[in-house]
Amino acid sequence: MSLSCPVDLDVSRLRREVNAMYGRLAETPKGAFHFHRGLQYAERVLGYDGRALSRLPVEVTTRFAGIGNPLAIAPLSAGDTVLDVGCGAGTDLLLAALGVGALGIAIGVDMNQRMRDHAFEGAARMGLANVDVRGGDAAALPVATRSVDVVISNGVINLVPEKERAIGEIARVLKPGGRAQIADIAIGQRLPSSVVGNIDLWTG
Amino acid sequence: MVHALTAAGFEDVRIVGRFDCFAGTTKERTARQFGVYGVNFSALRS
Repeated sequence: MSLSCPVDLDVSRLRREVNAMYGRLAETPKGAFHFHRGLQYAERVLGYDGRALSRLPVEVTTRFAGIGNPLAIAPLSAGDTVLDVGCGAGTDLLLAALGVGALGIAIGVDMNQRMRDHAFEGAARMGLANVDVRGGDAAALPVATRSVDVVISNGVINLVPEKERAIGEIARVLKPGGRAQIADIAIGQRLPSSVVGNIDLWTG
Repeated sequence: MVHALTAAGFEDVRIVGRFDCFAGTTKERTARQFGVYGVNFSALRS
């Protein structure tokens, strides 16, 4: 994964296009996208627990577009504070809320208002009072320093132009000894600049 | 990612899972060409 934003990439345009793409996903999850979505994909390809997913509202799981399974990396503990960076419609966020129980809290941060609405409504529909959905960007997390036990993220860092800054933010909000459980893209070779600088290849 | 996590002060940074998340999508060919996969990373904040 390239961790520096190429100098000739229009960062503002990239941010707008990523936001627009996920806004489109929020509105029409069955539309045409370059990535898989949904409950069956999460279960069959990424190894999610189908029974756990079936507890979530379909409005949430149909908008799932992760690329890995951060909650499978290590179990959550009751009472943990978990932060989901780029929570989208809330699949991992709500699973985390179930995992930490009523004494814990699951905070979701996402740049897209429509996705946040789905996450918030999903938590309400499940009666989860330990979910906090916030607007924000991975490169400037609206979360207090050293306040989080576990940071999860699924397919988000690769879309952030300022990747070192986003990782620095994850380090900032974690308590000492806290865990980062991040699913993201790995690339097996260094990409040519013509590919890295092509926004269409970032957003599909 | 592993290097960036380590540089940011994380320890025990590991890749703990790999997923062929682009198989069957319109980007499968590009993903195969460049060796693109979904990966689970685990890291501890020191």
